[in-house]
Amino acid sequence: MTKPFSERLVLLIGIFVAVLGSLFPFFWFVMTSLKSQIHVEAIPPTWWPDGSLTFYESVLFDRHVLTSMGNSLIVASSTTVIALLIATPAAYALARLRLSGKAWMLGGLLCVAMFPQLVIAGPIWQILKRLGGLNTHWGLVLPYVTLTLPLAVWILATFFKELPLELEEAARIDGCTAWQTLSKVMLPLAAPGLFTAAILTFIYAWNEFFFALLILTDPAKHTLPVGIALFQGEFTMPWGEIAAASVIATLPLIVLVLLFQRGIISGLSAGAVKG
Amino acid sequence: MAGLALQHVTKIFGRTTVLSDVSLEASDGEFVVVLGPSGCGKSTLLRVIAGLEPQTSGSVSIGKQIVDRLTPRDRDVAMVFQHYALYPHLTVRENLAFGLKMRKESPSVIETQIAEVAELLEIQSLLNAKPQELSGGQRQRVAIGRAIVRKPRLFLFDEPLSNLDARLRASMRVELKKLHRRLNVTMVYVTHDQIEAMTLGEKIVVMDHGTIQQIGTPDHVYHEPGNPFVAGFIGNPPMNLIEGIVKPAATHVEFHAGALTLHLRAQADVYAERGILGIRPEDVCLTRPGTNHLVLDGMIDVHENLGGDHLVYLEVHRHRLVARTTAETAKNIGQSVPVYVPEEKLHLFINHNRIPLKRHE
Repeated sequence: MTKPFSERLVLLIGIFVAVLGSLFPFFWFVMTSLKSQIHVEAIPPTWWPDGSLTFYESVLFDRHVLTSMGNSLIVASSTTVIALLIATPAAYALARLRLSGKAWMLGGLLCVAMFPQLVIAGPIWQILKRLGGLNTHWGLVLPYVTLTLPLAVWILATFFKELPLELEEAARIDGCTAWQTLSKVMLPLAAPGLFTAAILTFIYAWNEFFFALLILTDPAKHTLPVGIALFQGEFTMPWGEIAAASVIATLPLIVLVLLFQRGIISGLSAGAVKG
Repeated sequence: MAGLALQHVTKIFGRTTVLSDVSLEASDGEFVVVLGPSGCGKSTLLRVIAGLEPQTSGSVSIGKQIVDRLTPRDRDVAMVFQHYALYPHLTVRENLAFGLKMRKESPSVIETQIAEVAELLEIQSLLNAKPQELSGGQRQRVAIGRAIVRKPRLFLFDEPLSNLDARLRASMRVELKKLHRRLNVTMVYVTHDQIEAMTLGEKIVVMDHGTIQQIGTPDHVYHEPGNPFVAGFIGNPPMNLIEGIVKPAATHVEFHAGALTLHLRAQADVYAERGILGIRPEDVCLTRPGTNHLVLDGMIDVHENLGGDHLVYLEVHRHRLVARTTAETAKNIGQSVPVYVPEEKLHLFINHNRIPLKRHE
């Protein structure tokens, strides 16, 4: 079963390069955030930080990162909850009902996800202006939900399709209505799919920059990516603060993924139907 | 408890007719087996009875009640599925309780009914396990338990034993038979396995291509198959079927198939036309039987020893005949032997219908 040494070596090097490539920028930010101003701009660059926390202090207390983070939490959580509330029944219907034109509906959903943001930005701004949604959190949540729904529906529909039809029929014969079948039998079994869709939606809303910049102009309403980008002054580039704020912005995502990962694994192991 | 009646049930999916004018009845407490090859519509039939699938036309009644407009929940039936369909996220106890809870039974009633069923099926020790911890046989017991715990008026089984190994299947078959005797409720059991059909069924419904081919007791469908499909489908190895031309004469019926010509000392109300002659392997004899018989020239082609029985593949006038014999009468490959065919064991089919052969002395 063991592969020859040379093959394993190539594999190991490949993994190492991939991990290093994706983690290095983050590693560099963490290092930078822990340096003091002199070391950030030193030439040649210094590798190891001196452990200074001044950037964190400045970011947390002078630059209102906590406000932006609160805004991001509100927007990203609302987006996730609303998107899943809509996507779950939609995906269930698309996975199970014999609808004519089902393929077209799924295709249409994908098209929505593929619209270039620049193309839809103008109309969205106009619509929100009419609705009074500019500079409000719901005004940002609305386009986020629209743009994340296709992905969530696709993920969930795939999951529902894989669950055996027999289970649903058993539930119906046992006396469940369609909603009870969904809530008592299908949803617990589709939990891994729900977690996946939730994580991806949340990450999208958490990271999104363009619409957030367009719709929320009031600094008190800024989400994290916009807030951090606006650290930049006319003549200054405060790398240290940007790095510290980015680290702070990433931490909730890491915590979230670790939490959901446990849910995904337990969901998968409970999903076995046949031996 | 209640009987079941289907009247002219037709089911069409898109352009495919899955069930075509199916009518059948099961009296109260009867064990009905629907037997047919895969894709014959037998599972769809079950799903129509359960209300999982609406029929295109026709009507279903359970007891004296027409249930066409009722949901599966209100039809008060229980179904055991091929892949068990136990809820994987619930324990065995919760699986058994699920249907009762959905019907708002009180916890004390649920508890006593679970205890009763667990004892009946000997699954008391499994109540706190999750389905994936159970073996196939145990899962099947739990699935049956989930069906009987609700005391429905009709049981539906969709190939419940097909996922078990041969040995377990045999023992579950016996248990199902006992269970039916004990509960005395109407059961409709769908299978492609003729042994299950023969052993379990009080009435067998043979289906093919969405239509009922024959309804009868196991003895009836075995000994008097209504058409060549039933004749070929039931029995293992299947009945020998030879296509040829039937010519009636004053005192006998002639049957021609290539080099083979048979004179049957019988009468049939037919004109000269194409027909099929059938004989079961156990009725093809290599030793002279006591009754009226025809003698043919055969040559032994292949010999299979099944332990108790022997299958001898014969070439008779360029036709292949299989004989099932008990004694090792002859087993030299290539050997020429006389083949005896008792006349009263022959089956004649014309235009897919059984033609009775009237004997005259």
